[in-house]
Amino acid sequence: MSSTLKQTLVMTRANLLSLPRRFAIAASMALSVALVVCVLAGFLSMAAGFEKALKSAGSSTVAVILGGGTNQENGSDVPADVIRTIEARRGDIGAVRDTAGNLVSSREIVVPVEMADDQAGVEKILALRGMDPIGPSLRDGVTLTAGRFTKPGAREVVVGERIATEFPSLAVGKQVRLGSVNWRVVGHFSSAGSAFESELWADLDAVHSAFDQLGEVQSVRLRLDGTGAIERLKTALGGITTTPLIVVTEADLYAAQSSGTANLIRMFGWPVALLMALGATAGALNTMMSSVSDRTIEIATVRALGFSRLSAFVATWAEAMVLAVVGVSIGLVASRFLFSGWQASTIGTNNTSIAFELTLSEDVMLTAGLLGLAIGAIGGALPAFSATRLPLTAALRARG
Amino acid sequence: MTDRHAKEPYIILRDVRKGYRIGGEAIPIFANLDLEIPRGDFVAIMGPSGSGKSTLLNMLAGVESPDAGEIKIGSARLDRMGETARSAWRAHNMGIVFQFYNLLPMLSAAENVELPLLLKPIPAKERRIRVGKVLDLVGLAGREKQYPTLMSGGQQQRVGIARAIVADPDLLLCDEPTGDLDRNSADDVLDMLRLLNRELGKSIVMVTHDPQAALYARRTLHLDKGRFVEKKRAA
Repeated sequence: MSSTLKQTLVMTRANLLSLPRRFAIAASMALSVALVVCVLAGFLSMAAGFEKALKSAGSSTVAVILGGGTNQENGSDVPADVIRTIEARRGDIGAVRDTAGNLVSSREIVVPVEMADDQAGVEKILALRGMDPIGPSLRDGVTLTAGRFTKPGAREVVVGERIATEFPSLAVGKQVRLGSVNWRVVGHFSSAGSAFESELWADLDAVHSAFDQLGEVQSVRLRLDGTGAIERLKTALGGITTTPLIVVTEADLYAAQSSGTANLIRMFGWPVALLMALGATAGALNTMMSSVSDRTIEIATVRALGFSRLSAFVATWAEAMVLAVVGVSIGLVASRFLFSGWQASTIGTNNTSIAFELTLSEDVMLTAGLLGLAIGAIGGALPAFSATRLPLTAALRARG
Repeated sequence: MTDRHAKEPYIILRDVRKGYRIGGEAIPIFANLDLEIPRGDFVAIMGPSGSGKSTLLNMLAGVESPDAGEIKIGSARLDRMGETARSAWRAHNMGIVFQFYNLLPMLSAAENVELPLLLKPIPAKERRIRVGKVLDLVGLAGREKQYPTLMSGGQQQRVGIARAIVADPDLLLCDEPTGDLDRNSADDVLDMLRLLNRELGKSIVMVTHDPQAALYARRTLHLDKGRFVEKKRAA
């Protein structure tokens, strides 16, 4: 082992062993790092959770056809004659057909409905999706957790698990007033926590009649047939209307919807976290300056004995990094307890509430952890440098 | 230590000038200071506060540089060395005994004594043997694992002396080594320094305010207003 390494190790050990002498200020540094890590992890896990909810809703084997020049269901309009033209297309258009040769498709419309949140005592806007009977089977990973799916034409709804948990009034068998008519809750479904679980599903014709929107269709979903199917479908549907139809995979549709909101959360979260990190860095700087001041005699003594400047620098910096690691660990553990499984909701692109679960992913933990370590690295560097510049005369006449 | 060695100049200061600037005002400490200390000597430096004792010790230790002049110890010209070189030289040639011991409280007695050996390529086993020997020499055998905070002032200073001699330097610089001790402990420490000088041939420069401590040295130099006044006496 080289002399410099031995010096560094023994000085680092001496520094760390002297930490109890300045427990309060060392703990304050670790906790301020933990707080920053916690805040950033909170925002990032919110963004990640929202993204996950929307992205997991989308399937790459399902195509969504939108009309009216918009790339969102809200505001889209696919006229009935266009739907008939699509259904009349023969041959391989990239979509799966049933045994009778008809396209496996679902016409859909999303209607915002007000729903009183029994627990919070506020009204929330939920998405009531009207769809053809084949609609649920076009969602990958959807399973009934209670009851059954709706019958054609009946004023019945099946409710996503997330909102079913949030609204006791949406229990199976209950009557619920949506719009101006009553609906019967006949089932609950789950979709692995995706955004679908924030929706109520009903029969398309029943929604049309209840909300006086006869014939209105916002989107048509089709099951894609094999690789390159989406391109074949786009080609087949090109030029059907004067206003071009937008054909995207369901995965792309939800990815586009999620990125805007997720980025907004990140854009808000990062400045807050960085601002706090700036404060924590100042705190770290103060803590480590105090540490150097506390160890002036020790540092000057070993320097007077012949220890190198490098060992003084590394030992001080290592102390800052150790405190930062402690802070990061506390922050991540606290984040896990605070945020994992925490339910949140926001307004989605259909102006309806989307419930999601905060996701403390490895990426989130890594990013928040690195910010915490950066606080230690930056906050410890200047004091470490000052440790190398201590006047050695301090050792010769100082009371140890 | 033989008389033949005692005649050989070991520490040489020639035309050393040193001053400080405080608030724009130049405060001279030494102007053309000359000094020769033979190898194997034990010199006590006394003088009133402000006479320059600390500054002289700092310059001999290489922690301060002279403004001008020559400081030579053995074959090394400290005044021409950079701080890193002086630091390395100090590690190999000099031991320092501090007034307030300057032990690292979180390290055991043995670990404190071992510090100077970490600067040299000495295997761990050899380091342990040498640490054991010097602790035995200063009368602290069996206290290797004891922490300084649990020791008396005299014991702590003995650990300080063990640390100063463990790397077998030629020169010991002692800064008021008994300034914080009672008379009995002080006498023990001074006996030890005299032993190191006479039996092991260490050259010792000791700054002290204590006339009784100075009696243990071979000679005493009185520093006053930046100049030496030597009073010879029997060793």
